[in-house]
Amino acid sequence: MPDVVIIGAGHNALVTAFYLAKAGLKPLVLERSASVGGAAVTDEFYRGFKCSTLAHAAGPVLAEIAHDMRLGRNGLEMIEPVARVFAPAPDGSWFTLYSDLARSVESIARLSPKDAQRYGELDKTLKKISGVTQHLLSLTPPSIDGAPSREDAWKLLKTGRGFRKLGRQQMFQVLRWGPMAVADFVAEWFETDLLRAAIAARGIFGTAMGPWSAGSTAVMLLRAASDPHPGGVSAFPRGGLGALTAAMAAAARAAGAEIRTGAEVRQISVKNGVATGVTLTSGEEIQARAVVSGADPRRTYLKLVDPVHFEPAFVVKMRNYRSAGTIAKVNLALDGVPEFSALGSFGSGADRNQAMSGRIHIGPGIDYLERAFDASKYGEFSQHPYLDISIPSLSDSTLAPAGKHVMSICAQYAPYKLKDGDWNTQRGNLADAVIRTLAIYAPRLPEMILGKQIITPLDLEEKYGLTGGHPYHGELALDQLFTMRPVLEYGRYRAPIKNLFLCGSGTHPGTGVTGASGANAAREILKDLRK
Amino acid sequence: MTLNTNSNGKYDAIIIGGGHNGLVAAAYLARAGKKVLVLERRYVLGGAAVTEEIIPGFKFSVCSYVVSLLRPEIIRELDLPRHGLEILPLDGTFTPMHSGDYLWRMDDHGKSRRQIARHSKLDAEAYEEFGKAMHQLCKFVKPIMNMVPPDPTSLNPKDWSKLLFLGKRFQQLPREDRYNIVQLMTMSAADFLDQWFETDVLKATMSASGIIGTFLGIRSPGTAYVLLHHYMGEIDGAFRAWGLPRGGTGAISNSIAAAAREAGVEIRTETPVAKILVKNGKATGVALENGDEFHAQVISSCCDPNLTFLKFVGREELPDDFVTEVMRYKYRGSSGKVNMALDGLPDFKALPGVGRHLRGAVSISPSMEYMERAYDDAKYGRFSRRPYIDIVFPSLTDPSVAPPGKHTMSCFVQYAPYKLSEGTWDEKREAFGDTVVETISEHAPNLKNLIVGRQVLTPLDIERDFGLTEGNIFQGELSLEQLFFLRPVAGWARYNTPIKNLYLCGSATHPGGGIMGAPGRLAALKMLADWKKGVVA
Repeated sequence: MPDVVIIGAGHNALVTAFYLAKAGLKPLVLERSASVGGAAVTDEFYRGFKCSTLAHAAGPVLAEIAHDMRLGRNGLEMIEPVARVFAPAPDGSWFTLYSDLARSVESIARLSPKDAQRYGELDKTLKKISGVTQHLLSLTPPSIDGAPSREDAWKLLKTGRGFRKLGRQQMFQVLRWGPMAVADFVAEWFETDLLRAAIAARGIFGTAMGPWSAGSTAVMLLRAASDPHPGGVSAFPRGGLGALTAAMAAAARAAGAEIRTGAEVRQISVKNGVATGVTLTSGEEIQARAVVSGADPRRTYLKLVDPVHFEPAFVVKMRNYRSAGTIAKVNLALDGVPEFSALGSFGSGADRNQAMSGRIHIGPGIDYLERAFDASKYGEFSQHPYLDISIPSLSDSTLAPAGKHVMSICAQYAPYKLKDGDWNTQRGNLADAVIRTLAIYAPRLPEMILGKQIITPLDLEEKYGLTGGHPYHGELALDQLFTMRPVLEYGRYRAPIKNLFLCGSGTHPGTGVTGASGANAAREILKDLRK
Repeated sequence: MTLNTNSNGKYDAIIIGGGHNGLVAAAYLARAGKKVLVLERRYVLGGAAVTEEIIPGFKFSVCSYVVSLLRPEIIRELDLPRHGLEILPLDGTFTPMHSGDYLWRMDDHGKSRRQIARHSKLDAEAYEEFGKAMHQLCKFVKPIMNMVPPDPTSLNPKDWSKLLFLGKRFQQLPREDRYNIVQLMTMSAADFLDQWFETDVLKATMSASGIIGTFLGIRSPGTAYVLLHHYMGEIDGAFRAWGLPRGGTGAISNSIAAAAREAGVEIRTETPVAKILVKNGKATGVALENGDEFHAQVISSCCDPNLTFLKFVGREELPDDFVTEVMRYKYRGSSGKVNMALDGLPDFKALPGVGRHLRGAVSISPSMEYMERAYDDAKYGRFSRRPYIDIVFPSLTDPSVAPPGKHTMSCFVQYAPYKLSEGTWDEKREAFGDTVVETISEHAPNLKNLIVGRQVLTPLDIERDFGLTEGNIFQGELSLEQLFFLRPVAGWARYNTPIKNLYLCGSATHPGGGIMGAPGRLAALKMLADWKKGVVA
């Protein structure tokens, strides 16, 4: 009998499995599909062409976790292109933010010398703030009942002290920024609309918010906590994100975890208010001391557990937990390197490839992004979507045949619930809108498409088990973050049922492929099991 | 206490602006024995709480038009009823729908319930529960309304004890209330109401209180809080009761002014201030536009930070980062007002005749999508093609404001963005007025034939006429980052300013806008405390 059953083999679940195994427990990971990875997987979607199926940039995985899991030795090779994000506009203007500050400043200066200088200041400010907020990522949100435990108090005090070191003015700034619309935030820094939009995108990516939605700055700051670069993360595992989770699985196995694929959990067994194991769809029953769910909170609490085990008020709260996704994915197999008109005759071909070797941001202004969002409010997908793109084959030759490329496109906004029709009939139209939009920036692109893969929010739900098609297991909004993720009182990885835990993205901090939720959950599970 | 009937130009305190908050502050200072002078630019007192005869025979509450937030302790302590304050109840909200149906919520619980049950039985049940929950939350938030905001970055035990007090109170709340309060502080009105109700029109019309005076849509996080802000109103201790002051909202200001005068305050109208005199970082007095100077130990401005700091003080007297923050403070007026003199009362298709439904508010907020689309227009710099409108007919409840048989109609309109993407408000004023009339006419087709006079106030007019920067009726948006210890500027949320002896006392300070009076009272209490401590010298 395993000590702990873990439902799902997504990246967080694998991190949890690793830490539990490392602590001497026997975890058993049960994965529904044929391979591990959850939403961090690589597929050959067209003959000879592979790409990160869903998420395309890695977290980054928290350094401590990567170190503990020895991901490098377990087969992971990270590619960090010099560019972070390339942003073209239809009028031909463009810039690229590089990992290197001086190069970024130089690139922005062509658009606005003032913004170039301000960019340096933003870079510095975010670094300083993330120096404090990164500790929040590996913190279990404090209990809201009674005085905090000694450990919580100590960690909070430490974070509080770091916070105080920011100085009074910056402390207030962070408090003020959090609830603000990210459109306001970027307007405080920059005058160039294109730059504003590219930086603001980090506050709305994967959410049901537009840049004018209050609280979107908090999402941007949350992401900056794990990587303060204003342009966001651009790091690609060689072989796609599936290679990352494969390395994680190898690490977990090496530590003593057992992983079974093709094993779908039908129900979590609960006896007298205590989780005792799971039943698979095959009918097999597995007993365990504790059950950990890497699935999203709604799936876990509303589907896998019989609701009679919860108070009705809790069930109502989980039904109200918002997890309607707004993002779709289009992956393209291309006959060559796409040419963006904005780059025109910039430098050599190698220079141009380098400029777009990170992510590509399509969303030339704040109003553009907001209008894209507007459509989703009324149950329509954007006709001019905001796109977050990568061409990982530029720096990873294992993904496509020589001379050919793959393009991974996150398209927003594509609301889970459509007003007219359903996703099965609309998927083609969505891809058309994406390609039409791209053609404005890279006119020859449509002719280069050899094959494509379209993943709608409905696919995210049905194929990948993400309820509502939300990539982060639930909306990243102020009322669903930190102590409130997924819901107030159960924001500490523990379910209302004894020995049942959550470890997925529906818990704090819950954004991106960082592994933080999984590691935090493991810490809390160990505490309870050792009692 | 000496009465200052023959002043020599030397006062303990000068209040800039005779808005309701300025008058409240003046009254409290005078009652504590201070010699106070109030200087008002216009011919009439009240700021945005004024009654004016815009059309001969018709008196309008030109800007703010209903009352509910006025703090009961101010009514009590200043004995306002004795000074002429009388509030007439405004019963319910009537929402006509395009389908020809309507939703009518009344103060009578039983009747509201039956009305809501016509749309959804579940919602009728939930409405009761919702009312109770909001009542609990208001009780929790109330002490915050009466609190000078603490400084969360300070190590001063006094600040911490306030924060701990709030934390403790939060912990002591029942579980459901805790859940509700964190949701209210962070969610959008639409998301919050979605959890309670299924009837679209009910949610739409309720969510309207979440957006009033903000440049936010019903789906913008932070609007649930504004919902509560408007729920907080109390008349005679009854939560969530709205009323009309007899004689218009100017009557409120006049009663406060009477209380102030009785306490010895000297009030001068048509006395515009041009400058706050500052010497060595200390405010010493004010200079009028005509060049006259008045001196006092303390200067308190009831105007917004833009006017106070950038116009009256001047940035050269202020620290640079403070100026930056003052300039970042967001106004973004989003509403307008259309006041109409009518020959009779309009007939609403959904419920014809002059019934009780016209004695409350009539809300043009037929669906959530309608509300959200109204906001979308404003985001891109145009007034809503079909705006949200909150209508009252004050003359029905208070016949003194119109000639016999005639009526006044007050329309609060949102959204009307201060910054238009095309054209100017001077060019668009009448088009805006026409849009309002057309929008209402969809529900009450005979309205057009009844109009004998019309006043259209755009955000630009509100700025010009009433000194509210960018036409924001709350002297700055009620968004989360501009509340409590962040209002108006983080670190300067306690009525004092970087200029010694200069205090703010208007709606731009905690707890914000509405005819509430709390900022004026708290500011006066803070000044008096500083006086005692010797901070004022």
